[in-house]
Amino acid sequence: MEREDNMERTVERDSGFEGSGRALRDRLTRLVAVGEVGVLLALIVLVAFFYMMEPAFLSERNIRAILRVVSFIGIIAIGQTILLVCGEFDLSVGAVAGLSAVCSAKLMTALALPVPLALLGGVMVGAGVGLVNGLVVVKLKIPAFIQTLGMLFIGQGLIQVVTNGYPVYPLPPIISDIGYASIIFGLGWSFVFFVIAALGADFVLRRTVLGRNMYATGGNPEVARLVGIDTNRYKIGAFMTVGALAAIAGMFVMADLASGTTSIGSGWELNVIAGVVVGGVSLFGGAGTMAGGLIGVLLLQVVTSGLVVVGVNANWQQIAVGVIMVMAVGLDILRRRFFIAGSGGAQPVAASTEPAAKPS
Amino acid sequence: MTDLSTAPPVIQTRAIVKSFSGVQALRGVDFAVHPGEIHALLGQNGAGKSTLVKILNGVHKAGSYSGEILVDGKPVTFASTSEARACGVGYVPQEIEVLEQLTVAENVFAGHTGLGRGPIINRRRMEQEARALFDELGLSIDPRMLVASLTSAQRHLVMIARALSFKPRVLMLDEPTASLSGVEVERLFSVLRRLKAQGKTMIFITHRLPEVLAICDRATVLRDGRVAAAIEREDFDEEQFIYAMSGQKLQRLYPHHDAPPAETRPLLQVKNLSIAGRFGVNRGVSDVSFDVRPGEILGLAGLLGSGRTEILHAIYGRVPYSGEIAVDGAPVAIRTAADARAAGIALLTEDRKRDGLLFNLPVGANITIGNLTKLSSHGMVREGREKNAVLAAMRALNVKARSPQASVAHLSGGNQQKLLFARVLMSAPRVLLLDEPTKGVDAATRAEIYRLIVDLADKGVALVVVASELEEVIGIADRCLVVADGRLVGEFQRGEGSEDKVLRTITAAQAEMQRAALANAGHAG
Repeated sequence: MEREDNMERTVERDSGFEGSGRALRDRLTRLVAVGEVGVLLALIVLVAFFYMMEPAFLSERNIRAILRVVSFIGIIAIGQTILLVCGEFDLSVGAVAGLSAVCSAKLMTALALPVPLALLGGVMVGAGVGLVNGLVVVKLKIPAFIQTLGMLFIGQGLIQVVTNGYPVYPLPPIISDIGYASIIFGLGWSFVFFVIAALGADFVLRRTVLGRNMYATGGNPEVARLVGIDTNRYKIGAFMTVGALAAIAGMFVMADLASGTTSIGSGWELNVIAGVVVGGVSLFGGAGTMAGGLIGVLLLQVVTSGLVVVGVNANWQQIAVGVIMVMAVGLDILRRRFFIAGSGGAQPVAASTEPAAKPS
Repeated sequence: MTDLSTAPPVIQTRAIVKSFSGVQALRGVDFAVHPGEIHALLGQNGAGKSTLVKILNGVHKAGSYSGEILVDGKPVTFASTSEARACGVGYVPQEIEVLEQLTVAENVFAGHTGLGRGPIINRRRMEQEARALFDELGLSIDPRMLVASLTSAQRHLVMIARALSFKPRVLMLDEPTASLSGVEVERLFSVLRRLKAQGKTMIFITHRLPEVLAICDRATVLRDGRVAAAIEREDFDEEQFIYAMSGQKLQRLYPHHDAPPAETRPLLQVKNLSIAGRFGVNRGVSDVSFDVRPGEILGLAGLLGSGRTEILHAIYGRVPYSGEIAVDGAPVAIRTAADARAAGIALLTEDRKRDGLLFNLPVGANITIGNLTKLSSHGMVREGREKNAVLAAMRALNVKARSPQASVAHLSGGNQQKLLFARVLMSAPRVLLLDEPTKGVDAATRAEIYRLIVDLADKGVALVVVASELEEVIGIADRCLVVADGRLVGEFQRGEGSEDKVLRTITAAQAEMQRAALANAGHAG
């Protein structure tokens, strides 16, 4: 609802500017056309709403709880946003997170490898699964939906194979030290990693040749190839990135639990995709920003947590998440149609996001 | 001829005004089409042609514009395309919209009701009616064929049949010849002449003046949302049309260019190039060899499917080939577009929407994509440097966009094409391959593009130009190679060639090849 109001206001604002300074109008249009603004406003409105309903929503404890979850899921969302910008997506991230976690746990217990090596092993498992996903999608031209859905099942099966269904326990003490560390605002290493990775990925997408070429690859792979971009490498690279990031997120959860639990990552894939899509990252590729995707993830977490805090039955949380996702995408499509009006609807229009735009 | 003074116009508009978010697209258009005529609707991109057409066929609903539409002298309003159709306005869109997995008859009667009992379709009756329709058009297309197996020219004719199946009072054809080759255009014209002889009224929307001269009875020229001229057949004159469309006298259509001396060392050499054919699209290319000198504009003249585009694609690494390609004397192996670019070759593709523009990126990023190495350091895009390069390129090529941050979807066809030229030129190519460089652009942009081609040649770039319009290839090229069925079958120097000479060469070559094929078959048998 809030986004809808926002939309209407922008419509009025835009038409109200006829005849006045073109530069000002341009700037406003561009501001509203940037996907993050809408979702950010929605986030603010939601936070205010839950705070008014129940002031405890903004208690230090609750904020910390929200950010803790976001720091895990958000790490994967960084990779998923990159992959979506390149025009593919990955449904296997939850299973990959779990598989990497239990693999590294096994490496440090059953094989008694040094902890850094075991953690590296976990990352390699994630990146390796990403490599397989990427190769199959790019070389065998099997749709990412099928390949990564298959990989979701394969990963879940492999978790059981590796662990026989039992949690890997106990882990070396350093792991729980990582998990229990409090670096900033009572949040641990996973949050620090999340923030640094998010800033880095945002920089890559907006400011580097690599990022620009990713947008081209996702926007129209044929055009990207024609201008000399090796789109296959970009896509495989993005699959590997999301795999590695899922592995890292899985291992942070493992450290948090001090145990290689088989349920790590279970169900995350949908939360991640729903979140970044709410933030305006297009499922069709080439459109969306890191900030948008991560704000989307945060927004969904705020809703989930807010409903708990105000005492709504847990079953309604899922319903709310579903409704918000569909609504957000619907509004996004409307917004794009509005800003691309008059260009003929047949073409894949996603011109509203401007990766080259400077942060204002 | 029918007496134009007594019969009311079949369709007429009065003082149509239409604006889009404050921009006036039509500023009072009076337009009338009389019974039994083929009426040309001309104008540059952005002149208001497509807006007028969309109002006439109900895409822009009544109420979204002011002014009146009259059919047979009676005012009508269209709330939807089906209402327009019911009032007798038939429309054949420019893009081919067919259901590939259905038969020709099913396509013709898609959207019809009452071809059987209730919801059950009487297939035989549908096929009979489709056949009757094709007979009327003088065509021999089997209604039982799957549309997937038709050529695009045939699919277009199926769409015309579909529009006619609704028995329209007036048939609007939106740039019907845009993707047709010369022979196919002739076939379409014979269909239109036949329809005219049956008393049908048609509106023919086009960019191509020779076609207006060939087939139309009257013409309305739009410019800036107004009627710039309404011209009777006896006053038809190419110069006058161009003047009315552009508002200025265009001097010569093709700028002057001197070919480099014949002894100049060739820059691009192609030897024994062969490409496998693609079923249903073309017959491949066999054993094609040619050289292009620096500063030379080489034209490849041929019909659609002759292999002319495939030759460009092979040189740019889009399709696998056998044979040798050398740049500046050094053989190069080209497997991908990146290989071609590294060798100093650039390609401007034919289809802007599919293979050219990135709709998810703004104007500036569209120009610099693929050329960012020069505009970056340590992998980071230098925004100041990029912006300057973009502004310089936009100025140099006269790309009209609000800003480098504007969306490419908002640009006119001509500006989109110039944008793509800017992108291609930013890589400073030594060999430039141009596939339909003026497709779907207005007359003024066309002239700008010709000027640009000649300027590039003067700077020592070797150019290869492919265009559907033979007259264009002949006009712009220093030397013209004729391609037919994947072979080089003729060569004309500047001033020697003409449209019918090229066409005769192609026909003769095709006849020759067919004889050879028959003889071979005879041997084998």
